[in-house]
Amino acid sequence: MEVTMAMFVTKRLLMALATVLVVAVLAFLLVHAMPGSPGAVSLGAGASQDAIDQLNQSLGWNDPLVVQFFRWLGEAVQGNFGNSLIDGRSISSDLANRLPVTASLAAGATVLSAIFGIVLGVTAAVRGGFLDQLIGGFVGILVALPAFWIGVIFVYLFAVQSTVFPATGYVPFEVSPRDWAMSLALPVITLAVGGAAFIARQTRASMLEALQQEHIRTLRATATPTWKILYVHALRYASLPIVAGIALQFIGLFGGSVIAEQLFAMPGLGQAVQTSVSTHDAPAVQGVVVIATVVVVAVNLVLELVTKFLDPKLRAS
Amino acid sequence: MNLLTSPARRSAAVLAGALLLGSLSACGGGSAATSSVDKSTLTIATDSDSASFGYDPLRVSDAQRQFFEGLYENLMTLQPDGSVGPGLAKEFSYSADNTVLTLTLKEGVTFTDGSTLDAALVKANLDRRSDTALSAYSAIAKGGAQEIATVDVVNPAQVAITFAKAQPGFEKNLTSTLGMIVGKNAVTDTASLATTPDGSGPYTLDSATTVKGNKYVFTKNEKNADASKYPYNKITFSVIMDPQARANALVSGQADVASLTSPTVDFAKSKGVGVSQIGGTVQTMISFDKTGKSSPAFASEKVRQAFQYAINRKALVDALHKGDIPAWNALPKDSAGFTEELNSTYAYDPAKAKSLLAEAGYADGFDFTIIASAQTQTDLQAVQKDLAAVGITMNVKLAASTDEAFAAVATTPLGYAPMGWDNPVGLMYGAILSGFTNVQKATDDQLNAATAEAAAAKDDAAKKTALTKLNTRLVESGWMIPLYESLTNQGYNTTKVQQVKYAGSNVYPLLSSYAPTN
Repeated sequence: MEVTMAMFVTKRLLMALATVLVVAVLAFLLVHAMPGSPGAVSLGAGASQDAIDQLNQSLGWNDPLVVQFFRWLGEAVQGNFGNSLIDGRSISSDLANRLPVTASLAAGATVLSAIFGIVLGVTAAVRGGFLDQLIGGFVGILVALPAFWIGVIFVYLFAVQSTVFPATGYVPFEVSPRDWAMSLALPVITLAVGGAAFIARQTRASMLEALQQEHIRTLRATATPTWKILYVHALRYASLPIVAGIALQFIGLFGGSVIAEQLFAMPGLGQAVQTSVSTHDAPAVQGVVVIATVVVVAVNLVLELVTKFLDPKLRAS
Repeated sequence: MNLLTSPARRSAAVLAGALLLGSLSACGGGSAATSSVDKSTLTIATDSDSASFGYDPLRVSDAQRQFFEGLYENLMTLQPDGSVGPGLAKEFSYSADNTVLTLTLKEGVTFTDGSTLDAALVKANLDRRSDTALSAYSAIAKGGAQEIATVDVVNPAQVAITFAKAQPGFEKNLTSTLGMIVGKNAVTDTASLATTPDGSGPYTLDSATTVKGNKYVFTKNEKNADASKYPYNKITFSVIMDPQARANALVSGQADVASLTSPTVDFAKSKGVGVSQIGGTVQTMISFDKTGKSSPAFASEKVRQAFQYAINRKALVDALHKGDIPAWNALPKDSAGFTEELNSTYAYDPAKAKSLLAEAGYADGFDFTIIASAQTQTDLQAVQKDLAAVGITMNVKLAASTDEAFAAVATTPLGYAPMGWDNPVGLMYGAILSGFTNVQKATDDQLNAATAEAAAAKDDAAKKTALTKLNTRLVESGWMIPLYESLTNQGYNTTKVQQVKYAGSNVYPLLSSYAPTN
């Protein structure tokens, strides 16, 4: 059993590595397919062709693609993504500063959406009737609302009208945990609204199916406490698609945080990629793409492991 | 089906309530607006990242002067009334033929690298002018109308700048980023400026709390002799690109001062925020091609004039830029060269545009492509309709890359950009007669003469006459096709900051001009 699990984890790890490698190659090729060259970007519009050629030469831009890729990969695996073409700063240290912002946003919004989504979904499935319809209607509206619009409304209500929360900015946790939470409040809630609605729907459907299962009926007949039937047995049975939904939420929020980052002026990865693309800073774009891929692949890996743990059939296979 | 027993229902309700309260309490309970006011700190919300190219002041234009004013000192300084005053150069004088400008330097100026100011350092700075990456130096580079031929050390305290042609009034240029001086280490190792500023300004960068692209924190540089003129011990530049988010930050207390776009001004005012406004930025189409190289039609002055008549400026402003001013003048309303005559001479007249096109041999119209950015696309689409009505097909193409946007000056006949006219002679020589808007090297004797006249003007009357000629010819020749004059708005928290003042007609307030209310 342990050997099987170890093999499973090894296989998945290898697949994850392969996925990251493929994305790294694609990102590398995409950057090379972009018009212009690092020399032209770095030196600006007025630069002479000689100066551009010279800089390209010194950056190794004229080397064969394979040589360039492996040189970049060799550095990347050591955590060095090179320097920005625009200001020469280390891309790795910039990413290290920005990752916690986006991770806080995505993780916070995922946790919040999971909690509210599950509570709403379970309640709708269990209570049925009018409450189910009410929650269904409510969730339908939330799913349809664009995050940007929700953010604008929240800012107006809670930052402009009542000034409960700050409208913009991000305070690192190490500076002030309280201000960190305050700065994350509105963006996290903004991102969580749509996610909660999605998870609520997923949970409701899964719970309805779970509640029909024979072992649940048996438990009811044996006078097992209802909360235990619902939140331990039925929810566990229903958990596979819910967990998958939560993981998808995290992945979506991690990549989609650019809206919240722009609206709330937060220095995250979304803002970085927006700036890098607009300034044609190819190495910076490449760095963000690879880091985002690593996060997504890691989340998927964890999802698979959790799924295997939750599903006895998969665990045995 | 109802599987929940009463205790279970209560548990669920308690759980839901606890989660709701938890989520809210986790978010804190304080209020940004009620936090104590720290008069030692000023937070300025800006619409762009001034240090996106690092901390080399010569890589940016005057639009970023306010930011770099904190870190560096200028050879000459812009005064609150818009005039030119002493800076690192305490005195200046011109040779009789105005070809040599001699600067006498201040003593006791120390840079963050420990080096001190002398004539050799100023020469080393200005000798970087051949570096094409330095936008601020493009105006004085070799071949330009304001070319600096040589920079010579007269003695440790005096430096002589020799121009290729007479340049009376050049000292005004030294108040922009062009006149900022970096320390010895930075001149020797210019790449270091990508990450580390090296200036003698009233503030130094606090790298520990600065987050690139998001916020830049300046702390007072006590070694600077003029530091006391800057009231705040700490200044934070907060980069908030979204206009509404910037206004929100100001209203809710995260920023003390913010640049506002016209559509957010009313909102800010309604929340009790003060707003200072100034005109001076003319949003204008620029004929990059006056020789017909990229589009033969543009070689004809009549065709370029047809554009002036074909565009309905008032409709454009009413539809897209409420609060701004339709413009038929190339120079702004407050400029000495502004003339009401142009407003009526070139009033909207599509029939006249058609007849000019016919006279130029384009009765059936012609087509060309213009490269747009995300910011200019909507305006250009509005103009596109007006042009189509007179037979000109303007294809609007969104720039696929920064390279494409830059290259447009050489590959397309027309462009669109904001123009600030605080220093008309500098702008004419640096960007219009030569420089990036005239890659095809077109010439216009009247424009040359009017610019030279403005440069040589000794008094206000002479200046007005020269600038009026310049303005009129820019429009008549179709080198400039002005659309509207946009207002620059600075919102400020009235309980914390005094009314924001502009330095003369310069649209970027001096950093030293911000002051606490008490």
